[in-house]
Amino acid sequence: MTDRPPFKTAGLLKKLMSDYYAGGNRAREKGIPLVWVTAVFPVEIVYAAGLFPYYPENFGALAAARKLAHVLSVRAEARGYSFDLCGYARCGIGDSCAGEHPAGEIERPDMVFCCNTQCGSLPKWFQSAARFYGVPYFLLDSPMIEGASTTLGRDYFVAQLKEMIDFIEISTGRAFDFGRLAEVMALSTETCRLWNEILDTAALRPAPFGFFDACFHMAPIVTMRGTREAVWYYRELKKELESRMAGKIHAVPGERHKIYWDHIPVWPKLRWFSEYFSGRGALVAASQYTHSWTYSFDTSRPLESLAENYTGAYINRSFEQRVQMKINFINRYGLDGFVLFSNRSCKPNSFGLYDKQKVISRRTGLPGVVIEGDMSDLRFFSEEQVKQRLDVFIEQLEKGGETQDKKQGGGIVWK
Amino acid sequence: MPGGTEEKEFKSIAEEIMGKIRRSLEDPAGYMRRRKSERRQKVVGWLLTDIPEELIHAAGALPFGITGGREEHSRSDAHLQNWACSMARSCLDMGLQGKLSFLDGLLIPHICDTTRNLGGIWRHARPLAMMENYLLPRQTRPSAKTYLVGELGRLKARLERCTGSEITAGKLSESISLYNWNRRLLRKLFGLHGEKPGLLSNRAIYDIIKSSLFIPKEEHNELLQELIDHLTGETAGDGRNTGHVRLALSGKVCDPPEIMDALDACGAVVVADDLATGQRYISAEAPETGDPIEALAQRQLSRIPCACFDTGETDRRRFLTDLIKASGAAGLIFLHLKYCEPENFDYPDMRAAVEAAGIPCLRLETDIGGVSQGQLETRLQAFVEMIKGGTDVDRPAAL
Repeated sequence: MTDRPPFKTAGLLKKLMSDYYAGGNRAREKGIPLVWVTAVFPVEIVYAAGLFPYYPENFGALAAARKLAHVLSVRAEARGYSFDLCGYARCGIGDSCAGEHPAGEIERPDMVFCCNTQCGSLPKWFQSAARFYGVPYFLLDSPMIEGASTTLGRDYFVAQLKEMIDFIEISTGRAFDFGRLAEVMALSTETCRLWNEILDTAALRPAPFGFFDACFHMAPIVTMRGTREAVWYYRELKKELESRMAGKIHAVPGERHKIYWDHIPVWPKLRWFSEYFSGRGALVAASQYTHSWTYSFDTSRPLESLAENYTGAYINRSFEQRVQMKINFINRYGLDGFVLFSNRSCKPNSFGLYDKQKVISRRTGLPGVVIEGDMSDLRFFSEEQVKQRLDVFIEQLEKGGETQDKKQGGGIVWK
Repeated sequence: MPGGTEEKEFKSIAEEIMGKIRRSLEDPAGYMRRRKSERRQKVVGWLLTDIPEELIHAAGALPFGITGGREEHSRSDAHLQNWACSMARSCLDMGLQGKLSFLDGLLIPHICDTTRNLGGIWRHARPLAMMENYLLPRQTRPSAKTYLVGELGRLKARLERCTGSEITAGKLSESISLYNWNRRLLRKLFGLHGEKPGLLSNRAIYDIIKSSLFIPKEEHNELLQELIDHLTGETAGDGRNTGHVRLALSGKVCDPPEIMDALDACGAVVVADDLATGQRYISAEAPETGDPIEALAQRQLSRIPCACFDTGETDRRRFLTDLIKASGAAGLIFLHLKYCEPENFDYPDMRAAVEAAGIPCLRLETDIGGVSQGQLETRLQAFVEMIKGGTDVDRPAAL
């Protein structure tokens, strides 16, 4: 990542995101409710209702990437919140209650919407925020899917979407516009399609794009899917990737290995990890995290389709399914090894990784490693310890030979 | 008032019952293994909290509420990070040690991110014949009821397959009555304990409740009835005159149980709680009319608030302050399992609400099979002394 020219779209991204945040202020001025939502949430309904969605998790990631998580966390801790809690929540709570805002100020919500597909931390954080700000709280409850998705679970989620639409209609005093919902869902599907085409370029050898690039370019897929701007942005990014491929600008100069990463990055150490791997000729090519936004909606049955997409996230699946999903990535991208991040901030992603490492290695014959740390708080990260583990892993990768010698491409064709 | 010989007789009977209960608690898994072979029934284990045991009972199996062991749980370290709560680690460890291999099934409720993952890990590391997650709803709007009835139906079918015995509406209704009766007796005993602190120690009443998670209900009801018969009419104490400090507890479990011994030693009586091995368990009666599955769903959705669910209308802060006032408790102790995220999230606001109501608080972070006994006793004693003396709360120590 060190020697290559920067992405031109990075400038567009900066503009796009500052416009998005400015949109929050404009909404407030116009009296449009600003609603908190979670990353895996049917935001299409929020956009279709003409509300402004705000993502506190983004705030957490941003604060973490700026190495401010512990500063904000200490403020939450002073209010009695334990440092054993999710780091994003500690950032958000710490900022809410403080007079100073070193990472920019978290937005005050008019309503708080939460979906628990991802975890149990978000509902607790969001509910405590709703108490703090004195605003209504609405939970979309997403039962775990352990095999095939069931009619029972889907119907439950659809019933809740109806309750939520009812809640919004009462709050706004306007009838919900299902025609607009179909438009937003179509835009969302298109954004996800483009995003996945972009992610898939990481399968090329050598590749123009990898996981750390995805972490940088993911803000619009999280916050703006369902808008024209997001579609426009990923078209531009895709064009740029095409020209970078033509110009032989690669994500990792001299790429020799491709690896899978699970799940979220260590935000305050993004650059450190990126340089560590690229310095060893290894491209982190795929992660379930950046592949979370792979929705494809059927607008002829909007609520059912939203339910299927938003309850079916990998994290809401069984142990065995999640193992298989990781192996699918490894096969599809033709990867040589895997790194599993045991993230102290994220129990649902981390619990089970010790066994999963053994199962995946046994089934694929590939080397893998579990590293310990925290996605946001450097007090729970030991560079030395992580490096020691990664060094051993890289040695194993080297023994396995170079990617190109073993296999060509995964099952992916670049369009 | 009982005379000399009668008193002696009372004591020996009560002691005999408590002896039985204490012995069963020394090794609940061993106890259940023995019961299984004696009664020739299947045993289905369950983890805290909210599992509808009535379904297990109606399927002809013995329910076994597993609340962790007393030993180190280092075997679980290879499977579960040590920043999972000790309840999860300890239960998994029992499984890994083979102490639960006699189980015919295990039900795990999805109440937090740890229980969400635990079943998958357990099934992978040491599978049992039947392992099911109970995917209960985490909210209480009308949509939750329909879903929960369906989920209970799914669980019912799994249990029927496990035991090979159909759960008819009649059998389920009988089980519900039996379990309700047990809860009524437990509440009666709990009331007696609060009214007359000398009769049943804190340790004794919570041991009794804990034993009700696994001693077959038919037998447990007999033990309780006998105990109540002997305790009613006793005037060993009256809470308002004995100088006992009345306290409330909030959390999931009271473990290690020596916490109760320490409270007994410093003259405190626990008169209210919201523990999964306390009021959450004994207050939860299911309606005895109408469709029994609907009744179980109704019961679940009207349970007292807890950290793991969004109970919507019933704010847990208000619930706690009301509970403390209604029970006449002079202080509240938060008993939080270390690393329990739901409790950690609720704690600051609950503490603020309780303190705003003028009630002193203490928080103890607990570990199953852990906690230095001396330090714990000192903190409890200081808290109780503080209440007796009317001095300020121990804010710095609790944070």
